[in-house]
Amino acid sequence: MALEICWLDNLAKAQETARQLKKPILLDFYNPM
Amino acid sequence: MGAVTYPDERVAKFLSLNFVPVQMQTTNTELMSKYSVSWTPTLLVLDADGKEHYRAVGFFTPDDMIATFMTAKARWALDTDQLEDARALFEEVIACYPDKDAAAEATFFLGVARYKVAHDPKALRETYDLLKDKFPHSSWTKQADHYRLISK
Repeated sequence: MALEICWLDNLAKAQETARQLKKPILLDFYNPM
Repeated sequence: MGAVTYPDERVAKFLSLNFVPVQMQTTNTELMSKYSVSWTPTLLVLDADGKEHYRAVGFFTPDDMIATFMTAKARWALDTDQLEDARALFEEVIACYPDKDAAAEATFFLGVARYKVAHDPKALRETYDLLKDKFPHSSWTKQADHYRLISK
C-alpha cells in the first residue's frame, strides 16, 4: 500500500505535535475547486 | 499538487518524516488573513509557535518539492540555531539536487550557516565565488554580490 501524507486540519494541534516532535510545520493553503 | 506531487511516494515519505503536515482550505479566512495569504497553492513553514520561516507560492514537481522543502527545513533549522542540522540539510540539497533552483539558495545559506558557526567572513567570500561559478544567473548570486568585497 502506498504511503500517504497524513494531513492535519487543526493548526493548534499541529503546533502541539511540532513541539513534541521538534519538527517544523508545513502549512498548505489550497483551493479544493 | 494533490494530483501529482503529494501522491508521489518520495514526496509523501519526505514530508511525513520531516514536517507536521497541515492542510487548510481557502474557506479558513481567519488563517488566510493571519498569514497574509492571497493565492493558492501557498505553502508556509512554521515553527511550533506558529512563526513563519519560509513561504512558497505555486506548483512544484516532486523533485522540486523535495529540493525546495529540504531547503525550507534547513532555513527553519538555521533560524532556530540548529546550525549543524541546517548545514547537513543544505549540503544534502546541493549534493542531491545540484541543478535545481533550491541548490543556489542552499549554497547561499550554507555560507551563512558556516559563518554563524566559525564567525569567519571567508565563508561568505567562498560562498560568493561558488555561486558565481555554479549559478551565475541566480538571484542568490546577486544577493551575495557584496561578499566579493571580502578578501580571500
